[in-house]
Amino acid sequence: MDDLAVICIGNRYAAQDRLGCAVYEQLSGGALAMEAAAAGIAVIDGGLCGLNLLREIEGRRRVVFVDAVAGFAPAGEIVVLDRQQAAACAGAFGHAAGLPYLLDVLPQVCDGPLPEIALVGAAGDLDEAALQSLARRSLEMARDGTR
Amino acid sequence: MVKRIIRDIPLNRVEGDLEIRVELENNRIVDAWSSGTMFRGFENILKGRGALDGLVITPRVCGICSTTHLTAAARALDAIAGVRLPANAVRLRNVALMAENVQSDVRQALLMFMPDFAATVYADHPLHAEAAARYAALRGARCIDAIRRTKAMLEVVAILGGQWPHSSFMVPGGVTYVPSQAELNQCRQIVRRYREWYEQTVLGCSLERWQAVASAADLDRWLAENDTQRDGDVGFLLRFAAGAGLFSLGGGHGNFVSCGSLDIPAGSAVPGIGGQLVAAGFLGRGGKPQPFDQARIAEHVAASWYADYEGGRHPSEGETEPLATGADGRKYSWAKAPRYADLPAETGPLAERLLARDPLMLDLLRRDGPNLALRQLARMTRPATLLPAMEAWLGEMIAGLDEPFYGPPAELRAGRGFGLVQAARGILGHWVELEDGKIARYQIITPTAWNGSPRDGAGVRGPWEEALIGTPIADIDNPVEAGHVVRSFDPCLVCTVHVVGAGRTPLRC
Repeated sequence: MDDLAVICIGNRYAAQDRLGCAVYEQLSGGALAMEAAAAGIAVIDGGLCGLNLLREIEGRRRVVFVDAVAGFAPAGEIVVLDRQQAAACAGAFGHAAGLPYLLDVLPQVCDGPLPEIALVGAAGDLDEAALQSLARRSLEMARDGTR
Repeated sequence: MVKRIIRDIPLNRVEGDLEIRVELENNRIVDAWSSGTMFRGFENILKGRGALDGLVITPRVCGICSTTHLTAAARALDAIAGVRLPANAVRLRNVALMAENVQSDVRQALLMFMPDFAATVYADHPLHAEAAARYAALRGARCIDAIRRTKAMLEVVAILGGQWPHSSFMVPGGVTYVPSQAELNQCRQIVRRYREWYEQTVLGCSLERWQAVASAADLDRWLAENDTQRDGDVGFLLRFAAGAGLFSLGGGHGNFVSCGSLDIPAGSAVPGIGGQLVAAGFLGRGGKPQPFDQARIAEHVAASWYADYEGGRHPSEGETEPLATGADGRKYSWAKAPRYADLPAETGPLAERLLARDPLMLDLLRRDGPNLALRQLARMTRPATLLPAMEAWLGEMIAGLDEPFYGPPAELRAGRGFGLVQAARGILGHWVELEDGKIARYQIITPTAWNGSPRDGAGVRGPWEEALIGTPIADIDNPVEAGHVVRSFDPCLVCTVHVVGAGRTPLRC
């Protein structure tokens, strides 16, 4: 298992939630895919999983999530959150519980050392250049660190 | 008399896409309306697509029970193709489906239902402090343990099906992959470890000891037998529910339906009922069990935001034509209203156990009538009925790896078929019609459509609408009692009404 990962979250059928899927497509082909492979970064389509991504996190050194966000910055602007900031959005568990729930309980349920974790995302639609920029940013954070 | 109508009572852990509106008199619910607030539309997405596309698209209906949708889709195509599955294909499909269910049952109980025991409304309950320590959301010791211990179970699906969720490894005629002996052994180890944990902490006893509990009196003796059983999650549920009066709430219509599930493969040593591990049938209030017949299912749309038609319509003739006109308030949900023999019927683990003539469940039903604690007990203990069969079928596959997992079907050009399966939450049905190798009609009825349906053409409430009637609400700003009722059905509106539960608040939380 690669010890670095970018996990893209989202639903391609819901316009407000497809950012992660669009970034995954950027990262899974062409030059960015080769860069990811060369750096030993696993690029994962996390789909709609929340708690069930736990096994994709355990055993890694650093994980960067890519997801649509809202309420943190103007539309189109890239947002970077650390684990605690993202976890602060967690509510109680339900069928629609997502990434914040996972990140909140992670220190209590993660087998092995807790990886360094960050979330990078944006609100609203991004054009192709902005998507590429976001994809590259996620790789850089996974490779060089999230701080 | 104090009469008050509450719109969208805060059932925050029920579902983001579910709104419950209730009418209270003197702090007791006298009427209820359940509304699914988002349109699903998968039926329309599928029209005109290739015959096999449902195997890829319908698992995306739900991120929790995607294997169940795949099973229903594959069974519908099996029926159209007229294939008889090899025994190993049946075993492999069954094991994958059960993995999803046994994980879901425990998570529903420990992460969704029992956290309400920590609510402040129970501050005077003698077990409140212990409930908070065990089940408080995000922090309770048993919640955290449940996350740690249930995470491995879905690896069974990933090993057998290549991925979870949204796998597409079931195809007409069987499955796409023949697992190695090592992979099957790995799955068996995962199941055994899960069983050990489930016995030690959820039940507090062996599966065999639990299965020997055959009456209400037996249950009392079991609870008093030792501290391990008393302090297990099932024991805690029983003790807390008794103290909180939960055995007298959330009854509903008292009609139960199960389509049956988990075919017993040819040559298997696993015993079944009518050729299936999970019993099928219909049990009306006060009546005798009747055989299940899918022809008796009809969907009503009188209170649903779809183009009207008279009465109910069998799903093979069903349409999904959205019509959000309001209709003077008569229509109030994106969920349709499935009925069995023109009656609203509850589906899920309690229905399964009653139709299996489980002596404990039948005795508790006789003693207390239908209620939310019984419903929850049936769900929490369902894994005890599934885990031994999972182990057995994995063992049978290991012993018979030379036997086929796939038999080529005839070409899928035209025809009608249906696939029915008991999902974690109850009956899931896919009805498919093919023309010229393409999907001409696709109708899906989910478990939560059954349980959370709005009123039908006769104005009769859906199962949990009815179950809410009579529920006392101590604090309308924190209607925990109503939450218990609805959560005991394990609602999944994500699956029932729309494409996905996307972020209402930042980050899809």
